[in-house]
Amino acid sequence: MDNNIITITDLSKSFDGTLVLKDINLNIRKGSVTTIIGPSGSGKSTLLRCINQLEEVSSGGVFFQDTNITESNVNLSKIRSKIAMVFQSFNLFNNLSVLENCTIGPIKVLNLSKEQSNERAQQFLEKVGMLPFINRKVTTLSGGQKQRVAIARALCMDPEVILFDEPTSSLDPEMVQEVLDVMRNVISEDISFIVVTHEMDFAFDVSDRVIFMDNGEIVEDGEPSYIFHNSKNQRLNKFINRV
Amino acid sequence: MFTQMILSSIPDDFIGGITHIFENNYELYLEGIKYTLIISLLGTSLGLLLSLLITIFRIQEIEKRDSLFTRFLKRLSIFVSSSYVEFFRGTPMMVQAAIFYYGLATLGFRIPILIAGILIVTLNTAAYLTEVLRSGINGIDKGQIEGAKSIGLPKSKMYRYIIFPQVLKNMFPAIGNELVVNIKDTAVLSVIGVSELFYMGKSVAGTYYRYTESFVLVALIYLILVLMTTRLLTLFVRLLNGNDKYSFPSSQSVPVEVNHG
Ligand SMILES: Nc1ncnc2c1ncn2[C@@H]1O[C@H](COP(=O)(O)OP(=O)(O)OP(=O)(O)O)[C@@H](O)[C@H]1O
Ligand SMILES: [Mg+2]
Repeated sequence: MDNNIITITDLSKSFDGTLVLKDINLNIRKGSVTTIIGPSGSGKSTLLRCINQLEEVSSGGVFFQDTNITESNVNLSKIRSKIAMVFQSFNLFNNLSVLENCTIGPIKVLNLSKEQSNERAQQFLEKVGMLPFINRKVTTLSGGQKQRVAIARALCMDPEVILFDEPTSSLDPEMVQEVLDVMRNVISEDISFIVVTHEMDFAFDVSDRVIFMDNGEIVEDGEPSYIFHNSKNQRLNKFINRV
Repeated sequence: MFTQMILSSIPDDFIGGITHIFENNYELYLEGIKYTLIISLLGTSLGLLLSLLITIFRIQEIEKRDSLFTRFLKRLSIFVSSSYVEFFRGTPMMVQAAIFYYGLATLGFRIPILIAGILIVTLNTAAYLTEVLRSGINGIDKGQIEGAKSIGLPKSKMYRYIIFPQVLKNMFPAIGNELVVNIKDTAVLSVIGVSELFYMGKSVAGTYYRYTESFVLVALIYLILVLMTTRLLTLFVRLLNGNDKYSFPSSQSVPVEVNHG
């Protein structure tokens, strides 16, 4: 599976008998930025969550490099440490400080020393502009600040992939931009980004590839200019005109 | 002759009687207080530790990717731990103490009464706190668990570093409440002859044939112990949190969710 970091084959997922992902096939190229757009309930989050096995698939395969991570003999903890995730609701650890949120993974999962972990955490907290808040309890931060810490926490795992599930959707409007700017700032060739978002300008600017989902299916898939300007697909155009 | 002397020296009035009983027996009461406090403090602390262990068995979840053998082990641990909780929550501590102590004696095991008392309180506390812990864990935002999974924290470390610290902080009032309940409930251990406060009260009452005075005195001592404990706990939590949101009801009730976000 040469250049692909994630490969999804014939993936289906149902909740209580309702099919919400229908036979999805998808390759994610190493180092690329992929955004997933689509109406509410189309299965974007579910697809993303299958990629780090926060949801179990009903059938089909999810490969990380060459490993089918849906099989029961894989070390999920190890796989997940390489596929970090940033959530809509931040999901920072409420009992830990900003710094500790970023070091717990490196120390307890990657087995780095405390010094190394602190150094790494400071480096990434600086990158997201949160270095001055290093000793704060995360519960005292604003939404935008929380999300920046969550991005630093993900980066500290030195992951191959970072999944973003609507990272700006629960933020006050004035904080959306600061988080999008941080995201632009951390995009690099070393990490593959898969971003579910409703921010179309952002998707257009940063993506190598945009995927449009509707009703549990991938309906359109292509470069941003194709998706936003050239596609003739009616469902896609209806969706884009609505947002 | 001797009994006659004891009985004639005690004043007839209520207050005088209490004062006299206390002045002449305070060493017994102190001894009783000592055992009551040792048993309830140790029983509560050990019970808390044991409840953490039982909770780990109690909260196993069967996942699709589990092998048949793993599924079997998980089912078994859920069954054993919930049976434990139901037995200890469903029977009176006094009966448990009797079964435990006399039962072991019949089987030929002689354990010191004090140890038996601590064990009974521990086992009871563990059952109660397991329920509290479990509902505390259920009350934790699912996002905390997903956050931990997303960085690859294995379950054991997730519980140790993320979930338990938050739940323990939230359930501190329930733990304190359980300590207060235990201070009072050690009284039932007199059934197996543990010389805690109530046992001492009974024996003093028997000496003077002044039951009301003796037991009122015992009640006052319990009340002082409980009031001091609740004040100390409240103070402790204030130091810990810098606020006064917690309070400690002195009866066994469902712990109030105290969440600092
Ligand atoms: N845990 C669950 N149990 C049952 N149904 C679920 C669950 N999670 C998602 N669904 C259903 O699956 C479908 C897809 O949901 P999903 O959250 O993936 O959509 P989405 O595209 O992310 O939508 P949104 O833009 O609103 O976040 C929806 O119909 C939703 O109701
Ligand atoms: Mg979603």
